[in-house]
Amino acid sequence: MTQNQVAVTGLAVDGPAGIVVAPFDFSIAPGETLALIGESGSGKTLSAKAIAGLLPSGFTARGTIALTSATIELPATDAVWRATRGRRISLLLQDPFTSLSPVHRCGTQIAMTIQAASTTRLSRAECAELVTHRLAEVNLPADVARAFPHELSGGMRQRVAIAAALATDPELLIADEPTTALDASNQGEILDLLRGLQEQRGMAALLISHDLGMVRGRAENVLVMRHGEIVERGDTSSVLNSPSHPYTRALIEADPSLTDRSAGVVRAASGINGDGSKTGDLVAATNLTKSFGDKTVLRGVDVTVGRGETVGIVGESGSGKTTIARCIAGLELETSGVIEFDGVALAPGRASRIPTQMQIVFQDPYSSLNPMISVGRSLKLALRVAQRPASDLNGLLHLVELPVEFARKRPAELSGGQRQRVAIARALAVQPQLLICDESVSALDVSVQKQILDLLAKLRVDLGLSILFISHDLAVVRQLADRVYVLRNGEVVESGECHDVLNSPTHPYTQALVAASIHEAPAY
Amino acid sequence: MSTTEAIALAKLPRSRRRHPLAVWASLILLGVVTLLVIFGNLIAPDATAQSILDSLLPPGSPGHLLGTDELGRDVLALTIAGAASALVGPVCVALGSMLLGILLGTVSGYLRGPIDFIIGRWTDLLFSLPLLLAAIVVAGVFGAGYWMTVLLLILLFSPSDIRIVRAGVMEQAARPFVEAAQMLSLSKTRIMFTQVLPNVSSLIITNAMLNVAFALVAFSSLSFLGVGVAPGTADWGRQLTDGRAIMIDNPAAVLVPALLIIGVASAANLVGDWLGQTLTRTGRS
Repeated sequence: MTQNQVAVTGLAVDGPAGIVVAPFDFSIAPGETLALIGESGSGKTLSAKAIAGLLPSGFTARGTIALTSATIELPATDAVWRATRGRRISLLLQDPFTSLSPVHRCGTQIAMTIQAASTTRLSRAECAELVTHRLAEVNLPADVARAFPHELSGGMRQRVAIAAALATDPELLIADEPTTALDASNQGEILDLLRGLQEQRGMAALLISHDLGMVRGRAENVLVMRHGEIVERGDTSSVLNSPSHPYTRALIEADPSLTDRSAGVVRAASGINGDGSKTGDLVAATNLTKSFGDKTVLRGVDVTVGRGETVGIVGESGSGKTTIARCIAGLELETSGVIEFDGVALAPGRASRIPTQMQIVFQDPYSSLNPMISVGRSLKLALRVAQRPASDLNGLLHLVELPVEFARKRPAELSGGQRQRVAIARALAVQPQLLICDESVSALDVSVQKQILDLLAKLRVDLGLSILFISHDLAVVRQLADRVYVLRNGEVVESGECHDVLNSPTHPYTQALVAASIHEAPAY
Repeated sequence: MSTTEAIALAKLPRSRRRHPLAVWASLILLGVVTLLVIFGNLIAPDATAQSILDSLLPPGSPGHLLGTDELGRDVLALTIAGAASALVGPVCVALGSMLLGILLGTVSGYLRGPIDFIIGRWTDLLFSLPLLLAAIVVAGVFGAGYWMTVLLLILLFSPSDIRIVRAGVMEQAARPFVEAAQMLSLSKTRIMFTQVLPNVSSLIITNAMLNVAFALVAFSSLSFLGVGVAPGTADWGRQLTDGRAIMIDNPAAVLVPALLIIGVASAANLVGDWLGQTLTRTGRS
């Protein structure tokens, strides 16, 4: 046990309804990382907030935080936190889109933390020099200081947030899901950057994540938390390679990047069209282009989806994959190109489409259901559109494996995974031929993600659905898709059978995407 | 708001949420005034009856708790009878401009395009009209009158309602649940009024309550200037004008209606604010 380490003992959080996080201890050596893993709702974020003194009202913390420079007894007073937070302990938040103030230039925001922590008053020039230095540390050019957050990409914003969090040379950095909101290729870079900075400074880090794959190779030790209790702890490789607690095993199994389960998923028989009724593609988009003003997002894309086939479209955000889905759905008007459904060309826009052709399941389960309308009413509305009796409601809920009582609930009473099931039920109520899933599992926890993917796999076989599956997450596409298109800057750079493309990519961009997605997991 | 904070808020015991005394006091005041509007005729049947013999009695005179004015009208009875014109008009104005706001604001915010442009310029035009001047001109052309004032105020209050509803609708219209409704090929009218509008209702109701307060003050000012209700009618604004001359002899003739105007306007304001907060919360949790 080294002298200058961060040691937390007896950390517990009490909520309005009793204990939320049961007491636990941990210590982190300088330059090392401890990962705290768990699903949302497991108490990991509350633990992090307790250490940063940022618990929401109604919650109190207990325990002791021993830093080299100070020892903090929880619950601590505001004055203690002012001297600690941002100076000895910094917090890096999940969402780079909201954690920076939109009305201040990035340089100003970094300068504010520098000045707040500085004992002497810094001149404008000194401050600007420090800001440049901090930006260089996170591999950003100096002119980013003059940019507003909205002018930067998600990855760049998170770098700015890191620069601001580290500006005061804290002893402990708490990173709360720092890469969840970023693309696969950015995630690895950001974590490696953090790791480098941490080693240089001998700073301890507490990495909060639900993503086990992310943690492999990037943390020395792991704590696994469930329902506010630590169920497993140990060094990373032994926990990941030989988990002892069933919950840890379930987490590892659910993580798409750690296991290739595609062999286990029953693929839709490609002979659904074998009954001789109809052949040919269900959807064929030819030479699709789309511009928003003078910005071109699709440059002549060809995409086809066969009957009963599941087609994945992968690419980074901004690659145009969502725009393809929206053009096919008629929610966006293509600039040029032809979209054929069942051999018939469709005019741009919703007017030429009917509900039974296709339905879409959106990314964000929190805004894709009307908050003022109960689940049952939403579903009945969709049933009425398809001229199905309202009594089909129970069958519909059963189809997506939800209890019938859910019909009376409002969306706010449901979890993300439950809401996504309702959204799928609403889409299936009209019995569409094509289901478009636009990043439909991206906002969910890994274990919930697995449930929804399993549900989709089952529905596809049971209902003979064609699915167009849009995702930035290769590991997810790998599990579900028969064929895959890789999109970059509005062009298809590679396409083919899912297995071939993802296991032996030929285009350098696909290779980079695949490399970024496997987080040092064993080779497939 | 992060999930943990939302959970914290939802789990807080009810008493910790803000139900300040002021809101209860406001609700009681509004309730009493509403009762006066309904039963005022029973309590004070002859409010405007004049009696020269009893003119200008100070407060506390026998039979006249708040005294009388120079025409010998009982100030208490006059004030009770005045509650009707003080509340009915503003409520009508708030409801009328709310209706205009819902119709034009929703259409404007959801359909956008040329319709939005036309409605937008129309609201600009109405915004540029000074309320009092417009009221005086209208009174001069069409003659002064209570219901004419109601119509005029509905027209002049509507642009802010239209803009508020439009902004709310625009925010909601970009949400995926609206696109999900489009995927079901529901008609635009149906999406506007059954999917989008319920999510803007807290804004609309809050704004209507605030409009009641503004309209009450506007009514009283117009009556004070003599372009609102006809002379001789029981009305708090009118009482202010008539009572000015007799401030020394019977201060209650001015003070009581003045305090009531301030009280009711503030109460409507507070309740509106509180309703807004409560409704927003139910939409979320």
